[in-house]
Amino acid sequence: MTTRTDRLRSRDHVAKATLYVLLFGGLAAVVGPFVWMLLSSFKPEAEIRANPPTWLPNDPTLGNYGKLFDRLDFPTYFVNSASVAVLTTVGNLLFCSAAGYALAKLPFPGKRLLFGIVLGTLMVPSIVTIVPLFVLSSNLGLVNTLTGLILPYLAQAFGVFLMRQFIQSIPNDLLEAARIDGASELRIYWQIVLPLCRPALATLGILTFLASWNNFLWPLVAATTEDKYTLPVALALYAIGQNRTEYDLLLAGAVIVVLPVLIVFVLLQRHFVRGIATTGLK
Amino acid sequence: MAVASRPRRSGALSRAVSKALTGWGFAFPFAALFLVFTAGPVVASLAMSLTDLRSADLLDPFGVDVVGVDNYVKLFADEKFLTAVGNTAIFVVVGVPLTMALSLLVALGLNSGLVRFRTLFRVGYYLPVVTSIVAISVVWRFVLQPDTGLANELLGLVGVDGPNWLNNETFALPTLIVMGAWRNLGFGMVIFLAGLQAIPKDLYEAATIDGAKRFAQFRYLTLPMLRPTMLFVAVITTIGYVQFFEEPFVMTQGGPLDSTLSMAYHTYNQFGFGNYGYASAMGYVLFVVVVLLSIAWFRLLRNNVDD
Amino acid sequence: MIRPTRRTVLLAALTAVTLAASACGRGDEDTGAKEGEAVTQGKASGEITVWAMGTEGEKLSVLADAFMKENPDAKVTITPVPWDGAHNKLSAAIAGQQTPDVTMLGTTWIGEFAKTGALDVVPPDFVDKADFFPGAWETGVVDGTSYSVPWYVETRLLYVNKAVAEKAGVTEAPKTWDELKQAVKDLQAKGGAKWGTYLQPGQQGAWQTVMPFVWQNGGDIYDGSKFTLDTPEVTEALEYYKSFYDEGLSTKDRLREGETEPKVLSGEIASFVSGPWHIALLDELGGKGKYDLWPMPSGAGDATSFIGGSNMSVFKNTKNRDAAWKFVSYLMRPDVQVKWYQTVSDLPSVQAAWDDKALADDPQLKVFGDQLDKAKAPPSIPTWEQIAAGVDTELEKVAKGGESAADAAKAMQQQATSIGAGG
Repeated sequence: MTTRTDRLRSRDHVAKATLYVLLFGGLAAVVGPFVWMLLSSFKPEAEIRANPPTWLPNDPTLGNYGKLFDRLDFPTYFVNSASVAVLTTVGNLLFCSAAGYALAKLPFPGKRLLFGIVLGTLMVPSIVTIVPLFVLSSNLGLVNTLTGLILPYLAQAFGVFLMRQFIQSIPNDLLEAARIDGASELRIYWQIVLPLCRPALATLGILTFLASWNNFLWPLVAATTEDKYTLPVALALYAIGQNRTEYDLLLAGAVIVVLPVLIVFVLLQRHFVRGIATTGLK
Repeated sequence: MAVASRPRRSGALSRAVSKALTGWGFAFPFAALFLVFTAGPVVASLAMSLTDLRSADLLDPFGVDVVGVDNYVKLFADEKFLTAVGNTAIFVVVGVPLTMALSLLVALGLNSGLVRFRTLFRVGYYLPVVTSIVAISVVWRFVLQPDTGLANELLGLVGVDGPNWLNNETFALPTLIVMGAWRNLGFGMVIFLAGLQAIPKDLYEAATIDGAKRFAQFRYLTLPMLRPTMLFVAVITTIGYVQFFEEPFVMTQGGPLDSTLSMAYHTYNQFGFGNYGYASAMGYVLFVVVVLLSIAWFRLLRNNVDD
Repeated sequence: MIRPTRRTVLLAALTAVTLAASACGRGDEDTGAKEGEAVTQGKASGEITVWAMGTEGEKLSVLADAFMKENPDAKVTITPVPWDGAHNKLSAAIAGQQTPDVTMLGTTWIGEFAKTGALDVVPPDFVDKADFFPGAWETGVVDGTSYSVPWYVETRLLYVNKAVAEKAGVTEAPKTWDELKQAVKDLQAKGGAKWGTYLQPGQQGAWQTVMPFVWQNGGDIYDGSKFTLDTPEVTEALEYYKSFYDEGLSTKDRLREGETEPKVLSGEIASFVSGPWHIALLDELGGKGKYDLWPMPSGAGDATSFIGGSNMSVFKNTKNRDAAWKFVSYLMRPDVQVKWYQTVSDLPSVQAAWDDKALADDPQLKVFGDQLDKAKAPPSIPTWEQIAAGVDTELEKVAKGGESAADAAKAMQQQATSIGAGG
């Protein structure tokens, strides 16, 4: 008995060690470019373009960030980006989980067709639909409004797909038991399905926030005055020229743009770990 | 008798109707927004693909000639398009399994309970997904430089003379595949982590008590329960890779000699030239490819508990 | 395989599309040079919106403020637009009827946007085309009608590492193709450079380096009714271009942004072709005074270079046509052009502006200014970008040794003809 446990424990040690080595190795490869980007945002442009590239800044400076904040009307762009991203995310969490629940667990006519259409549009490259979408928005009077930035992305096929797949794995007996107990579908959705979906909701939240925050083409096309620009659009405006790129602004901007997403990620990723939630099989 | 049977029949009917209404009730907000803002433009662009609409016609889109499937026929005589199809195929066939495997491995490692610093790893592996592609391209270009880049320096340590990766016809596409896997594995990792978390821990405990070893647990417990998640990652990654655009756009501009020209990049160029009808047709060919591949994935990874 | 309900929906959709399609059809278009409507005299009034890209968009408010001081009843709103995606934004705006009053346009975009019918014709007697560099003015002319006025220009010269040139004993700028070839050989053999020059080996934008060779040899791209790419002049120009690679004088590997400058300053690459923006790029890396500027040589024709830049156009559906054109004409005043140069270093398109001290006293700018007199642009046809992409592909094949100059010329001609001039 003792020898078997010892063997198990030492196998565990080896496994742990190997895992750590692999994961840290991968981490270095994965995090390296980001770290370079962060460090380089404190270098003047000439050093950024130096060849061979440097790692630590020779003379760290906040100049790039100063230049960026000087030229950008940062608060406006930030608020635009933030409101669009937050509202889009919350809306998607709500609509996609509801529709996902319906598609996964509720019988209704036209269900397969709806799912098919939803999946289908997911597979159309977005550039194809930009001009028709803009004409549509123009006819609806949504051009150059924050609403116009949010509405087209409030119901994303991707979100419904994710939620449907996830909710499918919730055991039906659980829901049947609740129905027999007399609970309405709304209650089942709100009190049983949603809590069980926490990892999926956290995932969808992060992905939707990220996509919305980094979205470039639509906010560019849909805004006709500067005060409606979002952060990625504004950064491209100042950093990318007709014949040259201003790397100092580009990198500082890239760091600024990535920070909120990282914060959202760190906040939400703890939901990947299921807490002491029951499986409901009892 | 007659009185007893009638209420039961109408009861069943009204139950079916109420079920249908509930179902649609939940789906309605999504469906309405979706049909207007997503499906609508898609149908419009499908119509565009059947015309020879060019930028000159932007002010008067209905004043164009309907050419039916001419655009689609022209596509298959377009040498660049065929090259792009080949490149995209390689990218997908190699890239999707590679990315999925890597992200699953990382997710398994982080979920195994053997490792601490989980938050650090989760955030770290996700960083490439959130970092701006332009910043990433700057860094990767330095890494891939022929004389002073990190890649060739490392290869030099083992005595291998590395090529000029991005300017080499043979190596440019594989380089972009590796870069794509590097960039996207965080996405799959996040989804797999969510999926792994949904598998009840008691099942693992029961299996361990029954004497099942780790690998057997993985094969007979984890994998089957991950099916819906794997299907999701497979389809989304495939869709993303069939439409791969940013890497060639930023790193190689489709070169050298069109060896990294992807279907999506070619489509983007055609839109840039103002050939809206032709480009939309190309977009829809992309669409058909993705649909076919997704159907294949659905067949392969269908959840047994399907409706 | 497809379930019945899905099949029905597909059929319905197809029917709907076919029915809608039957309502379509191109009408007849009228061709021939058009005359614009005249603009009133006096000060501008009312509101106008202006779109401008990149740094120009950022800084144009400086000129707008000055304009508003001179025209107190006018209000000018500038919306800067990123270069990245600007083309898409303009196309969508035209389709959705959400265009501004005035917009800045890259010179190679004029053909395409003019053909949409969205641009207003330049008013007659409004600006004198003789005021501008001839190559620049032509960029705004489509089918004989003027849709756009050149705002600022750029042209290409040879940048040469001074130290390498001195070591090689190359003291004078070469004037002919043969002299240039010899100079490059010397820079490499005697000047200690790894590569005598860097010419872009095909791929995006390479035509801007190679079409000048065509013009220098007396050839051209389009004669107004057909393409002239399969001619001896073009073939010779391509052979000249190819010879730099065949003789090992230029690397066949494409250099990216940020890679060229360090190599030039270190002397690894002795010379390269670029525009005025590289002055700042090289100076920032400590290159001030370390390079020379050579004008383009001549083949069988004139010593011609490429001219680019941006123009100003007014949209037809502007609500304040008068003020819009007045603002455009304000930007073309020589003193305003000089002020603009001092603000963002854009070279003036108006020749008179070059007499100002700020430009006339700068020796580097003088070389650019002289070259601008002999610079051409590609034809202002809507299909130019597509044809250029085809040219770039053939150029890459030529540079990397996979295709002969003659075959490339034939291929370019055949592609251009099948794409057409977008009439």
